[in-house]
Amino acid sequence: MSTFSGLNTAYSGLVAARYGLDVTGQNITNSTTNGYTRQRVMTSAVGGVATTGMFTGGIRVGQGVSVDGIARMGDDHLDAQVRFTAGAAAYTAVRADGLKTMEASLHEPGKDGLSADLGNFWAAWQELSKSVGETAQSGLLLGQAKTLATHIASNYQAVDRQWSDVRDTVTGAVAELNQAAAGVAELNGRIRSTLAAGGNVNELLDQRAGFTNTIAALTGGSVRQQADGTVDVLVGGNALVSGTSVHELSVAGSIRMDAVTGDPVRLVWTDRPGVPVSVDGGEIAGGLSLLAPVNGGAGGALAEAAASYNDFAVKLADRVNAIHSTGYLPDGTQGGNFFAYASPATAASTLTVIPTSGAQIASGSLNGGPRDGSNADAIAKLATGPDSPNKVWTQVVTTIGVATKAELRQASLANLAATSAVALQLSNSGVSLDEENVNLLMFQHAYQGAARVMTAVDEMLDTLINRTGLVGR
Amino acid sequence: MISRTTTSIMVRQAQRNLQFSMSQLATMQERATSLKAINRPSDDPAATADALKVHAHQRAVEQYARNADNGDGWLTTIDTALSSTTNIMNRIRALALQGANDGAMSQPAKDAIAVELKGLKEDLLRNANTTYLGRNVFSGNTDTGRAFDAANYTFTGAPGASVQRRIGDDATVRVDADGSAIFGQGRPNSVFDLVDRIVTDLSGGVNNIGVHIGALDGYMKGIVGQQAQIGAQQSQIDRAQASLLKEKGTLEAQRAGIEDLDLGQAILDLKTQEVTYQAALAVTARTLQPTLMDFLR
Repeated sequence: MSTFSGLNTAYSGLVAARYGLDVTGQNITNSTTNGYTRQRVMTSAVGGVATTGMFTGGIRVGQGVSVDGIARMGDDHLDAQVRFTAGAAAYTAVRADGLKTMEASLHEPGKDGLSADLGNFWAAWQELSKSVGETAQSGLLLGQAKTLATHIASNYQAVDRQWSDVRDTVTGAVAELNQAAAGVAELNGRIRSTLAAGGNVNELLDQRAGFTNTIAALTGGSVRQQADGTVDVLVGGNALVSGTSVHELSVAGSIRMDAVTGDPVRLVWTDRPGVPVSVDGGEIAGGLSLLAPVNGGAGGALAEAAASYNDFAVKLADRVNAIHSTGYLPDGTQGGNFFAYASPATAASTLTVIPTSGAQIASGSLNGGPRDGSNADAIAKLATGPDSPNKVWTQVVTTIGVATKAELRQASLANLAATSAVALQLSNSGVSLDEENVNLLMFQHAYQGAARVMTAVDEMLDTLINRTGLVGR
Repeated sequence: MISRTTTSIMVRQAQRNLQFSMSQLATMQERATSLKAINRPSDDPAATADALKVHAHQRAVEQYARNADNGDGWLTTIDTALSSTTNIMNRIRALALQGANDGAMSQPAKDAIAVELKGLKEDLLRNANTTYLGRNVFSGNTDTGRAFDAANYTFTGAPGASVQRRIGDDATVRVDADGSAIFGQGRPNSVFDLVDRIVTDLSGGVNNIGVHIGALDGYMKGIVGQQAQIGAQQSQIDRAQASLLKEKGTLEAQRAGIEDLDLGQAILDLKTQEVTYQAALAVTARTLQPTLMDFLR
């Protein structure tokens, strides 16, 4: 047992206490840093020197404390939970936002909605039926018909514009995803080399967790730990990031809503454009689901809404035309169509009113006289029929309303799950100021204690060196 | 899992609670200021469908009421025209009877009657050409401006055509009268031509014009009968007006029931939410302050 080993033991205590104070300081200063995970000094007791040789003997005391490392108090399971719920929450949030915007563009129920214009349109037919031949009433009808056609077109355009917006957002999100993937790959490299050199990677791990969280919120991708400290990020079962290499993603498919049916918007690998990537969560999946083509009511919400507007325009035009073309103009000739549209697939945006004056409106019946309004009344009666355009429109509005309500509900549930996952993660990894204050006290006292041990050894040596052998002097 | 609580968790939770409280407050405020239970379809899809239906119905009823008012105008005009036509016919009949007294009437006296009858025929024709808002009420859907041609008494209306006003989803009322059925048409089958013939006979010294009295009576009977029919149509319109008014009230009550919010309830909800928000603010301000730092030397 060395004379000075006590000093060395006390010194190791001082060092450990100082490390402890430093790490506590790091924790306290980063208590508000986003994504910071609290750290702890890991120490262990150093055992006594081993007995070697014949003449060594006696009891060996430990040699002090050793600082083994600085542990990051993260939990992979909780982190995975946060990523998973973030993907689900982002998916429903994007969908709910999209549906809410679309719903708001309807302005229903109320006087700004299409239903109000529809009511005025039918009323104008009745007004005309009372006063055939008057320019005021025929002008009113033509005005209402044009307002109605414009309103249908503007509803369609609102959805069309929203589709383009979502398409842009998805493109932007994919760029953000590629950037985050590049960030993960770069950090993977640094973490691997730092670990190999025996360094501390805690802060790098925090940064990388930030990137993987972003990726999870965008695509719901999963993260796989590797033995060398790197992580692989998988999207749709294939590696987006593998070690330090990145496989970038890009968006392919139509950039216009009316062309989406044959060319759906999809995610592909940039280096293999033919291979589609299936993402089942995250913002990008939510955006893609909004952009999906029509599929009998189960397709993308925006395309379905646009299709239902077209359907409504076709039904309105066909029903009015069917009656209008059996009627007779004031001059006694048979009438033609009232509404025109290019094709059923574009009816909402191309709906136009054919007559330009009262003389071209088939308001009467055969031999009913020039001021007969019986056919105008028959058209007005469409408002209440069993398959009236009003009912079709109510169906459109209700469908959108129900879908929005369901999506909002899901979004709020997914958000709750994400929030509670983050709370659990934070409760494990967050910095508690009280705790750190207690640690400060503890390490401070440990430092004082170690210093006292050093003083005691010092005094002992002083006694031994300076005061020994002075008996009787 | 046993949860460890840290300051930052409390801050986050406080932030989230405040945010939630505030968004609830905003919702309540929107409801209380607009006083609408449904601001967008997703608030209540089923009620939205009902609201759209009620709105469409309201618009239709409003239009039916306008139609009924218009029909009322037509029928009142016809009624007035027929009343004065009856008066004119009474006078014509009296004069014709007077002129038929061949023994007592001198030719100059007959001529005087003939002159008056001529004037009365003009009145009759004017009545037959009565218009309402520019439309001839006795010739349905013509646009000639006259129901009967002044020269040949040709009827300008289309045979069998009628003017209808819609007063309900499935109910219409006829608001014109068939002039050809009341006055006859052309020569010699119209009341105008009949009067012309009486005038010709009187001024031509032809005796025994009493033979025309029977024909005159026939027309008068037709006019009275038509007036009774118009009265029936008028009462149909009146009933429709009354019931439309009632329906309007019922629909408005229905609409309010679906769409409108009870003011008291809305304000109570808003106040409650306000108190909740204030409490959340106060509690947050209190709990987030102390850490161990405050108590260490």
